[in-house]
Formats: sequence, C-alpha cells, structure tokens
Amino acid sequence: MGVFALDSYVLILRGNDVLQFINGLSTNKVNGTCTTVFTTIKAKIIDMCDVIVMDDFVALIGHNPYKESLLSHLKTRILDSDVSIGDASFSNEVFLSTADIEVNEGVTKANTFRGFLIISPIGKGPEVTMTEEQFSNYRVDNMIPHHGHEITPEFNPLDCGLGHLVHDNKGCYIGQEIIARMRSRNKQLKQFVRVSTHGEDKPTTVGENYCLTIKRMRK
Amino acid sequence: MDCNTCDSTGAVLVHTPEVVEVSLTITLQAKEMLENAFGDDRSHALLVGVLSGGCSGYMYDLQIVESTEQDCQELIIEGFRVLVPNATSHLLDGIEIDYVDRLMGGGFKINNPNASSACGCGESFA
Repeated sequence: MGVFALDSYVLILRGNDVLQFINGLSTNKVNGTCTTVFTTIKAKIIDMCDVIVMDDFVALIGHNPYKESLLSHLKTRILDSDVSIGDASFSNEVFLSTADIEVNEGVTKANTFRGFLIISPIGKGPEVTMTEEQFSNYRVDNMIPHHGHEITPEFNPLDCGLGHLVHDNKGCYIGQEIIARMRSRNKQLKQFVRVSTHGEDKPTTVGENYCLTIKRMRK
Repeated sequence: MDCNTCDSTGAVLVHTPEVVEVSLTITLQAKEMLENAFGDDRSHALLVGVLSGGCSGYMYDLQIVESTEQDCQELIIEGFRVLVPNATSHLLDGIEIDYVDRLMGGGFKINNPNASSACGCGESFA
C-alpha cells in the first residue's frame, strides 16, 4: 500500500458547455466529478479519464501516451460549443494513493475506483512509496485495470473491466450503439479476469501470485 | 492542482475548419412539412446545425428560430430562410433535407454526402 506516480496528462477545460461536451463523447454520465471512457465509433478505447470539477474549470486526467489521440478526438468536435482546452501537464504531477492521505494545500485529491487520485503542482506532491511491481500487485489483488496493460485502444470498456463506467441509459455517445448491443444481446466476447501465474493465459499484468488477463469467453 | 498554475496553462490549438459556402436542397416531402410548420409566416428561419455527440460523433440539430446569435450563412431555399452556422458549414455542404413518413422513426432526415457513417436512428453521423 502506498503512493504510485502515474504517467498522466492534465487538461484544463473551461466554458459553459464543458460537462455536456464530455458527457456527449464518453461512456459515463458526466454531471460532476467522475471517471469516464472516451471511445471510437467502433467502441474501442481512446482513453479512460478522470473528470474533476473545480471552481471555474474542469480537469481531465488521462494517460500521457494517449493524450494526442484524445486531443484530436476532442478538438474536431468542439464546433461552436463554449469549450476551450488548455494543457497543464507540464506543471502538474499525478499520483495514485491506495489510502486516503493528507495532502498539501493547493493539491487536489479525488476518490476514484482505482484509489485516491492526487494532482499536485510539481514538487508539492506526496512522496512516492510504491514501485511498479508493488503497484501491479495492488492492481492484481483488487482487479484494477490500468492504462497500457488492460486499458488500451485494442479493447472496448466492457472487455477490460470498465463496465461500471458505462452508463446504461444516459443516451447517445460515440460507440454507444456497439456497447449497448453487446450488453443487450449478451455478446461480450472478452472478459477481464484474474488467473494463476502458472496458467496458459497470456497475462496483461503479472502479480506475485496471480495475473490479470483479458480472456476470450467461450460462447 | 494549483489554480494559479492552471490559469497560465497553454491553450491547446484547436483547428478551425474552413468556412464553406453551403449549398443544400429540400425534397418535396420536406418542403410540404415545412410549409405546414411555418404556415404563411416567413419571418422565422430553419436553423440547420450540428452538435457534437450522438452515437457517431456529430448530431444534426434542426430548429425553427426567429434569429440566432450564431455566426450563420443565410440561404433562401424553396422560399424558406435557412440558416447554417459557419462553424459547421464544412459538415453540411451538399446536404439534402428530406422528410420520411413512418409510424416509427419518421421525421426530417438529412442525406449528407460528407458523412462516412451514420447511426441507426439517422440523427448522428461521422
């Protein structure tokens, strides 16, 4: 248990239409601070992002290697909505804490399904106490999918254990038709599971005693 | 997050698409429906816009308006004032506004040569 440094970007969105804009393009019902997934028309993941509503802006926290894909996805869809995007990645650091810890003034903390997300100006964040290996063990123990391992553009949100971030009746968003069909017809072909390290399945995350993998289901 | 830091965030450059001089057509069926909707009053206009969202990324937005604050092109088609926002003109050039009379899913339908795909209900396109 401890604090792990994430490789994340921090986008700052301002304007009257920001929440409606994010809601229309992602899987969860976005009407406040939450976690949601941006998907393509074919329902493949672009990025899973934490949406943090602050006083006068909304922060979008996602995985750094997926930033450009998400930005291209968002930028072409602003049209004449009241939304502007700024990039504050260079001046902030992002951490994940497995426990609720005290943070310095000016540091933002949000409770997410992965743990406590901490966004701080560079140098003001908590001390990192978890190695990559320890973080993998924490994720395996708690069945938490992670960017670059299970959360990748190869999968849709249902494949990789993010079904709880897909709202059933929020209305249309990009990729919704495919995801809704998979759910209603029980056509989910892959499943996020924890398996033995000695099994035949190719792991997406290796833990001490168990692994995480996305397994093709037999129908 | 430090708000002072956030205030100084670099703006992400958003590519503004070129404004296209839109041409569009209205089918006979759609014209009849618009005549029913407008009556003899031609002071109002049909606003044909696009919003982000929907199953395929963009959604059509048809409204009857007196005026709008959006920066629009004004066209006269079949005797109707049609307003097309410049911000979405690149997505709407060449469209045909049709009306489909069905018990389910009937209503105005946009046939759009710029759309590479559309969702089942026809309200959204990519």
